[in-house]
Amino acid sequence: MRVDGVRATVLAVVLAVGSVLAGCSTVQPQQRSVLADPIMQFEGDPQASAQLRHAIDNREGSYGGAGVAGGGCGCN
Amino acid sequence: MRLQLSSLVRVLIGRGHRRNASARVAGAVGFCLASALSSIGPFVPAAHAQVVQVDTAHTFYHEAPTRTNMTVYTPGVDVAATPAEWITVRGGYEADVVSGASVATKAGPAYQSVNPGVDVITTASVNDLRHSPRGGFTLRKGDVAYTASYTYGTENDYRSHSLFIGARTDAYDHNTQLEISYARNFDSVCDRVQAVNDTPPRFRALEDSSGCFSDDALRRRRPLSIDGFQASWTQAWTPTFATQLVYTAQILDGFQSNPYRSIIVAQGLKAQEHHPEVRVRQALALRFNWYLRPIKVALRVTGRVYRDTWDITSGTGELEAERYLLEGLRVSARGRFYRQTGALFWSDDYTGGDLPLGPKGQYFTGDRELSPFWSLGLGLRATYMIHPTPKPEGGRSRLLGIFTHAKLGASADAIQFDYDEYTLAGIPITNARAYILGATAGAAF
Repeated sequence: MRVDGVRATVLAVVLAVGSVLAGCSTVQPQQRSVLADPIMQFEGDPQASAQLRHAIDNREGSYGGAGVAGGGCGCN
Repeated sequence: MRLQLSSLVRVLIGRGHRRNASARVAGAVGFCLASALSSIGPFVPAAHAQVVQVDTAHTFYHEAPTRTNMTVYTPGVDVAATPAEWITVRGGYEADVVSGASVATKAGPAYQSVNPGVDVITTASVNDLRHSPRGGFTLRKGDVAYTASYTYGTENDYRSHSLFIGARTDAYDHNTQLEISYARNFDSVCDRVQAVNDTPPRFRALEDSSGCFSDDALRRRRPLSIDGFQASWTQAWTPTFATQLVYTAQILDGFQSNPYRSIIVAQGLKAQEHHPEVRVRQALALRFNWYLRPIKVALRVTGRVYRDTWDITSGTGELEAERYLLEGLRVSARGRFYRQTGALFWSDDYTGGDLPLGPKGQYFTGDRELSPFWSLGLGLRATYMIHPTPKPEGGRSRLLGIFTHAKLGASADAIQFDYDEYTLAGIPITNARAYILGATAGAAF
C-alpha cells in the first residue's frame, strides 16, 4: 500500500511538472515544417505498424505502450 | 468525477480486487469520455473535404524453430472517407491465413531423463483462417476528435467482438496532443467439454476445432473479456524534437490457455494447459523523435517497461533512423532489443527436477512466451510518396487523373529469440528466428 502511494505521488509530480513544461514550449506554426513531415511521425504507417505489432505481440509475454499517430505538429 | 478518477488510479496502480477491476476501469473511462462528449454540443458541418483514402497492408511471417514451424499471411485493406471536415467514416478488413505445426504435448528434461528413448514431444498441424471486418467513425470539432469503432473476428475456434472509443485534443498552440481511449473485447474460445468430476490436472486438451461454436455436445464456449485503457501525451518541444509518453493498462478475465496444448504434469499424467483466469497488464513507453539537421536524419528512440500480475516484467529498447534518399523516397533502419522474465507459474518441467524445474502452484503452461527469454530484431523499411506534378497553368493536378497522392512501402525484419529455460524434453531451441516481410500501398482521391 505504501509503495502504491509513493508511485501515485511520483506519477502526479511527473504529470504536474510535465504539464507546466509543456506550456513553456513555444514552437510557432511557421516553425513546424520538420515536425509536419512524414519522417517525424511516431506512427508513419499505422496499418503496417499494427500488423508488425500483431506478429510480435504473439511471440512475447508483453503488450501495450504502442505508439499513437502524430508527430507533435498539431496537424493530424 | 474526482471519485471516479481516484478509483481508476487505484485500480491501475494497485493489484487488489482484480475481479472488480475490469468494471471499475470501464466505468471510470466511460464516465470521462461521456463527460467529454456531452460537453461539445452539436457538430457543425464545415467546408466539404471530399477525400477518400484507401490503404492496403500485407504481412508475411515465418519461423521454423526446432520441430515446429509457423507461417502467417496477413492481408488488410482500409477505406476512409471524409465527406466533410467534421467527420471521417472508415471500414476495413483483415485476415490471418495460418499454417504450420505447433507443440501439442510439452514435456521437460526431468521427465525425459526417466523415460529415455521415448519421444514425449508431439506436434500437431495448424491450419486456420481468421476473418476480421471492422468499421468506425471520427467526429471533429475544433481541436478535439472523437473516434468509435467496432471490430469482429472469427476463426474456427475463436470469436471476438471489440468496441473502441477514444478522444483526442490539442493544447498549448497545438504543441501538445493528449489522447485517451478505452477498448472492450467480448471474446469466446472453443474448448472441450471435460468430465464432470475432473479437475484441471485431469482435463484433456481439445483435439481439433470440429464442432466448435455449434450444438456439438462435446464442445463448449469459454468466455474471455478484455478491457483496455490507453493514455498518451505527445509533445513538440522544439522545431526538431518531439516526445511521446504512452501508458497502457489491460485486464483480461476468462480462458487464456491454449486449448490444444497438453503438459505432462506427472509420470503418466498429461493435462490440458491451465492458466490463471485473470491477468492485469501495464506498460509505459517513452519515445523521442529528433531530427538531426546536419545529417538530415530523423532518430527515434523508444524505451518501454512492462509488468503484469503473472509476474512477467519486461523491458524493450528500440532505435530507428530514417532519412530521405530522393524526393518522396525515405528509408529507415531499426533495431529492437527485448528482455522478459518468466511467469510465476512457468516451469520447463512440472514433473520435478532441480530448481528452477518442478511444480509452481496450481497452474501449468507450455507456452514459451511465458518463459524467460530475450530477443533481438533488425529491420529495414522503404516508403515512397508520389505526388502529382503541378500543372503549369495552376489548378489541382492528379495522378492518373484520379489520385491526389499515393504511397508505396516495403519492409523486412528478422528477430532472433533466445530462451533461457524453454526446451522440448531437454532439447534447447537454438534456431528460433522469425522473418517478417511487409508491403503497403495507399492512395487518396
